[in-house]
Amino acid sequence: MSLVLNDVTVSRGVGPVISNVSLEVKPGQITTLVGPNGAGKTSLIEAIAGVITPSGGTIVMDDVDITKLSKRKRSRAGLSIVEQGRMIFPSLTVKENLQLTARTKADMDEALALFPELEKRLNNQSILLSGGEQQMVVLARAFAAKPKYLLLDEMSLGLAPVVFMRLLPVIEGIAKSGVGVLLVEQFAHLALKIAQDSVVVTSGRVSYQGDPKALLKDAELLRQKYMG
Amino acid sequence: MREDFGPPAHDSLSRYFPYTLQERTEKMIIVNGFAGLTQGAFFAIIGILLTLMSQLTRVVNFSQLAVGMFGGFVGMTLMMNPDIQLNIWLALVVSIVISAALSGIIGWIIATWLPSAPISNRSAVTVAALLLIVSTASVLFGANHSNFTPIVSGNVTQFTIPGGQIVFVSQSLVALLALAFVILIASSILLKRTMFGVRLRAISDRQSAAELIGVNVKVLNVGVWVISGALISLAIGFVPATISNDYISFSLLIIGGSAAALVGAFKNPWLALVGGLLIGALQGVCSAIPQIAPYRDWVVFILILVFLLWNQRKEVWDVAR
Ligand SMILES: Nc1ncnc2c1ncn2[C@@H]1O[C@H](COP(=O)(O)OP(=O)(O)OP(=O)(O)O)[C@@H](O)[C@H]1O
Ligand SMILES: [Mg+2]
Repeated sequence: MSLVLNDVTVSRGVGPVISNVSLEVKPGQITTLVGPNGAGKTSLIEAIAGVITPSGGTIVMDDVDITKLSKRKRSRAGLSIVEQGRMIFPSLTVKENLQLTARTKADMDEALALFPELEKRLNNQSILLSGGEQQMVVLARAFAAKPKYLLLDEMSLGLAPVVFMRLLPVIEGIAKSGVGVLLVEQFAHLALKIAQDSVVVTSGRVSYQGDPKALLKDAELLRQKYMG
Repeated sequence: MREDFGPPAHDSLSRYFPYTLQERTEKMIIVNGFAGLTQGAFFAIIGILLTLMSQLTRVVNFSQLAVGMFGGFVGMTLMMNPDIQLNIWLALVVSIVISAALSGIIGWIIATWLPSAPISNRSAVTVAALLLIVSTASVLFGANHSNFTPIVSGNVTQFTIPGGQIVFVSQSLVALLALAFVILIASSILLKRTMFGVRLRAISDRQSAAELIGVNVKVLNVGVWVISGALISLAIGFVPATISNDYISFSLLIIGGSAAALVGAFKNPWLALVGGLLIGALQGVCSAIPQIAPYRDWVVFILILVFLLWNQRKEVWDVAR
């Protein structure tokens, strides 16, 4: 039981931006995916979520092939994604954002328990929140859907590191509750520290796969893998 | 939009006898301006529905009125057919069901084949649908059709303005205005207080993101189309027979409705209400002034032009600032 990518290739306009990538996200674990700008991280995440269709390979979630399913069906099957950028629904209140995915009151309460500071903002229009608070809403909304697997694409983008640090333990907590997390991050060190598994992608190819501790310990190795 | 929008028939010439042409014109401006409000209220409903649809389903639905017209003619045909003689209320129900279904089909086609196309492409489909429906209607119903029989007729009240002219408040006007307010208030409650509405607003904000969290964009969009088709059909039931001359000119009242929506920039349905009433009243006023009466349909055009220019000037100003 895990989220498995077999030999996935993704093409966009120019040609393949992801070539023959295979990886596995295990339930209850954080798999951190790092790589330089333009490496194809977002493209890979979008292929898993169904925003774009891979031109080759298969994506299997808990032994079900989801390669051809629509975005909506993947979501129903237990996949949640936090897209790059602040993907709140701006005209909706915080509460309405969460109601979109929370099926029960209990789901809603559990999501809010991640970020108690949102409680007093529930009836605010979400566009009026700070960048950090908006990302809290997006993460809480993804969690309220009770996903089996959670894809996080550069949640830190445009946030002060101290604000991002507020999100990290929550992501760890979500994984501990049994969710498989694929974490794409530019702050490689912070993201690798909380990971059980790691993948480095350069120019659309996997250049390293394995223990995140090794990358953390050896700055030279990380630099090398980044450069491809 | 035709001769029928002159003074009410019972205002016979003798009534104006004591006045000069000039004085008569002045009085008629008020009487006709008021009479124009009925058509204005109809424009307003079209404008409100166009605004809501454009916000919720990213389309300017030019086929809207044609869809209602088609349902209406089916209902009328069943009513007039000597073998069937459908009761007027049942005919209205049939009209509403057919319009809603037809509207739903167009919405489904757009949601299926142009799910993330730009609003202009999606709207182009509705122009094609408009043409298709009008030509189908001409084949099915031919030239010998009768005007719609409105489910309300006569006047609610009348009052005399200084100078002795009588202004009539028709049941049509009251019914159309009431319907406009009901649509405005109900839609705002629906959008704010129900999950159906919250999901629609989420789609309107970010369609792709909504799909990613499992919102069924297609079903909800088609739902909006169905509701809009039903409402326009209901509105047509209140429209006085004088407005529904033939299916082509009737279907083209969508232009006046678009102008009303434009007053609210396709964003504010309340301003579309104001815009519709304004256009209707202005057209009525124009029909009272003999020199410009033949050009009263231009009012819509001029209003659109003025609005676009004014809007552009505002943008230029914003940029300059
Ligand atoms: N919509 C698109 N159409 C065509 N090419 C695209 C599109 N989006 C991204 N690309 C290209 O695909 C490649 C991979 O982009 P992608 O956004 O997946 O990289 P990334 O690793 O997420 O980068 P970043 O760290 O900047 O977010 C880039 O070369 C980019 O120019
Ligand atoms: Mg990216």
